Amino acid sequence: MQTVIVILGWTALAVLLARAMQPVADSTAPQAMPFLGGGTPDTHAWQRYHFRPYSMALLFVAFEMEMMFMYPWAVVFVSEGIKALAEMGMFLAILSVGILYGWREGIFRWQ
Amino acid sequence: MTALLTLAVLATLLGGTLFAVALDRAYLPLLALFTRQRVETEAPDRLNRDLAPAWYLALAAIGIAVVPFAPDLALIDSPVGIVIWGSCEALIVLTVFLHGWSPNAPFPLIGAYRYAAIGLPVMLPSMFVLIAAALPAESLSLVAIVDSQREVWNVIRQPLGLPLFMVVALAMTLRGPMDYADAADIATGTSAEDSGAGRAVWQIARLAMLVSVSAIAATVFLGGPLGPVLPGPVWLWLKTGALMALTVWIGNRVARTTPSRMLTILWVVLLPLSFLHLLISGLIAL
Amino acid sequence: MAMTRLARWAARSPAPVFAAIGPGRQAETERLLARPGLRRAATPRDAAILLVAGDLPGDTAEALSHVHDQLPHPRATLRWQADAPDAIAARIETAWRDICAGERDEDDHLPDEPPNAWKGIGPHGQGGKGMMGGTPYGRPMAMTGTDIRDGLRLDRYTARFGPFLPMLPPGLVLQVTLQGDVICDLDVQAPPLAQAADADAPDLCAARMLRLLGLDRAAHRVMHGQSARALWLRGAVPKRIGRIDGTSARDRLIAWLAGDTVSVAPPDLPALLHGAEWAEAMLILASLPPSALIRAARGVEAA
Repeated sequence: MQTVIVILGWTALAVLLARAMQPVADSTAPQAMPFLGGGTPDTHAWQRYHFRPYSMALLFVAFEMEMMFMYPWAVVFVSEGIKALAEMGMFLAILSVGILYGWREGIFRWQ
Repeated sequence: MTALLTLAVLATLLGGTLFAVALDRAYLPLLALFTRQRVETEAPDRLNRDLAPAWYLALAAIGIAVVPFAPDLALIDSPVGIVIWGSCEALIVLTVFLHGWSPNAPFPLIGAYRYAAIGLPVMLPSMFVLIAAALPAESLSLVAIVDSQREVWNVIRQPLGLPLFMVVALAMTLRGPMDYADAADIATGTSAEDSGAGRAVWQIARLAMLVSVSAIAATVFLGGPLGPVLPGPVWLWLKTGALMALTVWIGNRVARTTPSRMLTILWVVLLPLSFLHLLISGLIAL
Repeated sequence: MAMTRLARWAARSPAPVFAAIGPGRQAETERLLARPGLRRAATPRDAAILLVAGDLPGDTAEALSHVHDQLPHPRATLRWQADAPDAIAARIETAWRDICAGERDEDDHLPDEPPNAWKGIGPHGQGGKGMMGGTPYGRPMAMTGTDIRDGLRLDRYTARFGPFLPMLPPGLVLQVTLQGDVICDLDVQAPPLAQAADADAPDLCAARMLRLLGLDRAAHRVMHGQSARALWLRGAVPKRIGRIDGTSARDRLIAWLAGDTVSVAPPDLPALLHGAEWAEAMLILASLPPSALIRAARGVEAA
């Protein structure tokens, strides 16, 4: 309970503080134009952006799932002993093959 | 006791942020920003623009709330303290992204997506080193992790941990070699359209996060409040201050490579290193 | 007018300057901005003073107005013609004090009108041809096109960058089409303004690259004749980028840091930058001495 109260309290405090410190922004049209060193854009900047490392993001999801298993694993690690280490080693080895494959396919290179 | 701890957290965050401003020699420039107009961009996302610095500040405050100020004494004394900090780290990526997304301008947008690409793989070494620190403690609680360091600090027992975590600290505080959100080649990226008080508040939040990350690192690797003679909070402050100075020093000294190259380095060098770190820490813990 | 305490503190901070550099003034201006009482702003949003160095050609007037209007209020424009560096630095500091005291400000140069007329259907005027054809808030939305690397059809963002972009040489205007942050199309619309040989000085060239590598302090030290004292300097520049006449961007940085002048044959700019990531493209441009860049861009224009 205290955890939730502290998190909500700090968030509310931060929002109030940030709101109080930042005045309302206001501008004329030429002032609002995005900065391009004097140049002009053809379109709005918001777009269906080409996020290059999208395949890296998929590999990341695999590792994030693995992380979920690691939390309980870390707690019982010492009592389970060498068996736990071997099991996690096997799991990580399988995932590492994914990294090697991805590397060969160039997914870390903004393709 | 809770009231006292709340005050301690607030005082640490405030004092630490002032110290961070001094480390960056940014007192007068930050004050000057408060005298300037806050410019509106073309058709921006006003809500996210105003709230992004607030989230950043809130995450810094929540992060420091899980840090024990004395052995057995933390404001959030959770059995899963590491998981709470881990979620703060993940939400920082989101916050920086929203900061770059909101002005509807090209350079901030490029910075936002770049930071997302680098921020995600940085999470992985971070969680590996934190989990490695949880192994000898047999718990995910930061109080237990401090307790497990009574004989020897993790920085000695797990030598790769602190260096790997420094990379995370640089990325979480948008600094030097890991500052892919606000790089010079995109005219300070996500901050390129910030002016006046809006710019100042974002910079203050970024410096507050430096306090938070350093306090976590001090707790996990340097024994947090443990130390002879002086009381616990003083030891925590000293260790946090030293790590802040180290982070700023590295940030000013190490060059930043291009984002796609850093992405390869993170996956191909840093991630295997953190596997190795987990293996070494696991063998020692047994 | 009595200054508030905040304004007095602000006046003691280094003056934030955004520079629009004219022909022959690059070296002088870069050295001026490295002075202790001044701060080089990377964007006009962070500046209070617009420094116009030298005589800008007439075709940059509109771009200068755009940059001028983007500075937050209160702001001031200073024209730097024949003053000695000490004199102009003093003028900037006086102007900054006046700005902080609220005694100086300038109005917009351009009229307060949206860039295009609003048209289209829907609550934000977004509709037109299908979902995206309108001009909400006076600007159209980006449209899709085939990517040069992976062939995905995502949005192409086209804009003219320059002539006063701090990471591009002064005067250079590039019309760039980006997909994500990869340069898919590039057209040199105006070459960099002519610069004297002093713009090729090794310390200035090295400092330009160091700033892109996030090493502002090292750039400062190099410009004051000290060593860069930075870690992973060479390694941070990818080995393969910017290869011309057998030297790469990394080789040229090493030569500049050692104090040697570098001369390269003018490269084919569009070919060099086409398909590069934005961060790489900026590093490649900074790794070319201004004299080579000027000749390269003029060659493109003549052709």
